[in-house]
Amino acid sequence: MDRFLDLRFVIGLFFILTGLLLLLYGCFHPQETINLWSGGLFLIFGLFMAFLSFKVKQS
Amino acid sequence: MHLELIDYGIIALYFLFVLGIGLMLKKKIKTGNDFLMSNRNIPLWITSLAFISANLGAQEVLGMAANGAKYGLYTVHFYWLGATLAMIFLGVFMMPFYYGSKARSVPEYLKLRFDEKTRTFNALTFAGMTVFSSGVSLYALAMLMQVMLGWDFDFSIWLAAGIVLVYIFLGGLTSAVYNEVLQFFLIVLGIAPLVYIALHKAGGWEGIIQHVDDAKLHVWKGLSSPEKNPMGVDAVSMVFGLGFVLAFGYWCTDFLVVQRAMISRNLNEARRTPVIATIPKVFMPLIVILPGIVLLALQQQFDGFQLPINASGQTDYNMVLPLLLKKFYPNGLLGVGITALIASFMSGMAGNVTAFNTVWTFDIYQTHIRKNASEKHYLYVGKITTVAGILISVATAYVARGYNSIMDLLQLVFSFVNAPLFATFFLGMFWKRTTGNGAFWGLMAGTLTAAFVHGVSVAEGKGGWIYHYTDFYSGTSQAFTIAYLSFLACLVVTIVVSLFGKPKPDQELTGLVYSLTERIKDPEQRWYKNPLWLGVAVLVFTIALNIIFF
Repeated sequence: MDRFLDLRFVIGLFFILTGLLLLLYGCFHPQETINLWSGGLFLIFGLFMAFLSFKVKQS
Repeated sequence: MHLELIDYGIIALYFLFVLGIGLMLKKKIKTGNDFLMSNRNIPLWITSLAFISANLGAQEVLGMAANGAKYGLYTVHFYWLGATLAMIFLGVFMMPFYYGSKARSVPEYLKLRFDEKTRTFNALTFAGMTVFSSGVSLYALAMLMQVMLGWDFDFSIWLAAGIVLVYIFLGGLTSAVYNEVLQFFLIVLGIAPLVYIALHKAGGWEGIIQHVDDAKLHVWKGLSSPEKNPMGVDAVSMVFGLGFVLAFGYWCTDFLVVQRAMISRNLNEARRTPVIATIPKVFMPLIVILPGIVLLALQQQFDGFQLPINASGQTDYNMVLPLLLKKFYPNGLLGVGITALIASFMSGMAGNVTAFNTVWTFDIYQTHIRKNASEKHYLYVGKITTVAGILISVATAYVARGYNSIMDLLQLVFSFVNAPLFATFFLGMFWKRTTGNGAFWGLMAGTLTAAFVHGVSVAEGKGGWIYHYTDFYSGTSQAFTIAYLSFLACLVVTIVVSLFGKPKPDQELTGLVYSLTERIKDPEQRWYKNPLWLGVAVLVFTIALNIIFF
């Protein structure tokens, strides 16, 4: 649970979940491509923040 | 605007996270110091983003987009002129006094430098201002939700206030700061796609140049006369009023933002906090001002981009962002956009409430009501004050219903309270002869001058409540002028009264006054870790932007 005290991880998790929601919704409504683009962007940003938190933890 | 399940899901996810952050931090809160000061243990990247985000409230996100449509590129003066230099000055010159003196708040610094009455006056006015600002954020949120989504005004107010209350009550200042950083990313990433889509639709920057009045596409051109620029201000009130008095008054003395630097882990990080914060600040107009300018270009090219008329029969510029959200965001991303707006309101509100509870607990309660109580007692008082602050904010939100332009109103209040304050700090930090009586009477004179000038001048139908003596071209111009006149009144009165009084002995002022404090020799050789050189780099970049958009 200590991981949840690392703000990088919390922010990362939030954007991963938001990104996945947008991607999922975008798959069912392909006419709105902006949801897919934004979802992908959020997912990448979220993974980057989560990666940072793991990297700092290891070092 | 119609929300679907996906939009509500994203809003609910955000609420879950902000409450979760408070819950996770609850176990770390054991004393009043933990709750109100975060035990001075927050990393630099968090303090820097929180420093920006505490200011990224309703007046920033909605108000600046509104000003973008109203005044065009002139609005960037609130960033490139009215923020950058002052933030760098705070980091380089003033943080050593705030942080080094071990003061827990800005009013407490006034106590150490001057006396109790100056501190109490500042603490009371600041406390009033913060709950007012918090209430305005809340009001703006409720109005927006009502207009955009048809939500009940009362429901929106109590929902937002309730969530802010819970996460601050659980995790104190640390929870507010952590949430501010989450809110920062959400606001930037949530609005950035909107700017991109709208700009693309308007034909890019070329489209803006072709369809927007040229006067609104320059930063300095037309400042020779109020009639020649969209903001209706003259060069003196812009440069001296906004660029010096209001900017330094807000960024260097307002505890709401200074508090974010004061909770850093060490002095170097406290100094770098506001300087690093200037980097996102310089680029923030892309997110908050550009949408207003893009809307002007869209209005010339397409139907359906006209702003609504408000109850007083004027164009409702505060609807710039909501209108663009409605036009360009499909369900899904719309939920993100709405959440970003909600985040901005909650961020502004939480920043004000945490500053309010610290000042009330340390500078009013501990000083005048109960000294030398246990840490647990002050933790209890801090929590009770948080509840009281939220309730007063809710009451203020209902009062704020009668005003149209949120930004003009806030500028007015800041000019009353903050403008004279910078003269007090400036003299206190850089002139050891300044006395407590000088500071106190200077502040009184400055605040009264601000009220008097507002009382004898009228702009956009506001002011003139004593006598209608003169008119200003705009409310912004009036606010800037009030600011620098009250600053001058405070400066003159402080100097005159100080010259007739006896200053504190030098040994009591060590660490509080520039000439009596040992110069900091920062061992850090890398320029980007040195506040001064980092500040110079940002300043050069800002000057270049001013030249490019002259």
